[in-house]
Amino acid sequence: MKIKNGFVVREVGGESVVVPVGEMSKNFHGMINLNETGAFLWKFFSVEHTVDEGVAALRAEYEVEESIARADVERFVETIKSSGFAE
Amino acid sequence: MEHQTEKLKIEDVLREKGVYIGPTVGVSMLPMLKNRRDTIVVKPKIERLKRLDVALYKRGEAYVLHRVLEAVDGGYIIRGDNCYADENVPEEAVIGVLTEFFRKDKHYYCTDKKYIRYAKRRIRTYKLRRFYLRVKGGIFAFGGKILRALRLKK
Repeated sequence: MKIKNGFVVREVGGESVVVPVGEMSKNFHGMINLNETGAFLWKFFSVEHTVDEGVAALRAEYEVEESIARADVERFVETIKSSGFAE
Repeated sequence: MEHQTEKLKIEDVLREKGVYIGPTVGVSMLPMLKNRRDTIVVKPKIERLKRLDVALYKRGEAYVLHRVLEAVDGGYIIRGDNCYADENVPEEAVIGVLTEFFRKDKHYYCTDKKYIRYAKRRIRTYKLRRFYLRVKGGIFAFGGKILRALRLKK
């Protein structure tokens, strides 16, 4: 899975927000707030990766149980796909 | 992109979240903000704006982000950094104020000394820039007339 090009993550006031740029800003008008895990996964999936790779990366970064990491990654990927942000 | 979202109302976002973070649209704040490249951070207006502040206001249904030149009774005199006409904007049309922005990937605060120096310089050099544009426009118009005259002779 890979997130489409045309977004940047901005850190403002300690929070991460996804902002569209270029052509993407003509179609996407919302504001996406990310928590710490979401910001990590957004950056990770800005490059093509599998869910398993996402789980491994999340575990390496936050030292969490595999079942928790997998649930987080699958939920994130599902949200990205259903929102039309995945390539 | 096939996925398209509804246009959000920035005043609703400001009321609910206390901040709006989004892309820039348009060229009226060049060279500070480039169309659809940079990011603005706007907070709700809680007090009267002052000279150099960048106001977010509504002109009909459109959102406009321009700089305050002067606070006057009942509103403001406002102009974009890349514009050559002033606008009288009523107080109630102003919904927010720019507090931070990202130019390319560099993060600026509107309280930065460097930024304030830029804003002052932009206003100070307005008449010079306008004069330059008029001269440049005049030269092009004159050159165009000569070219047309030469073509007619041929």
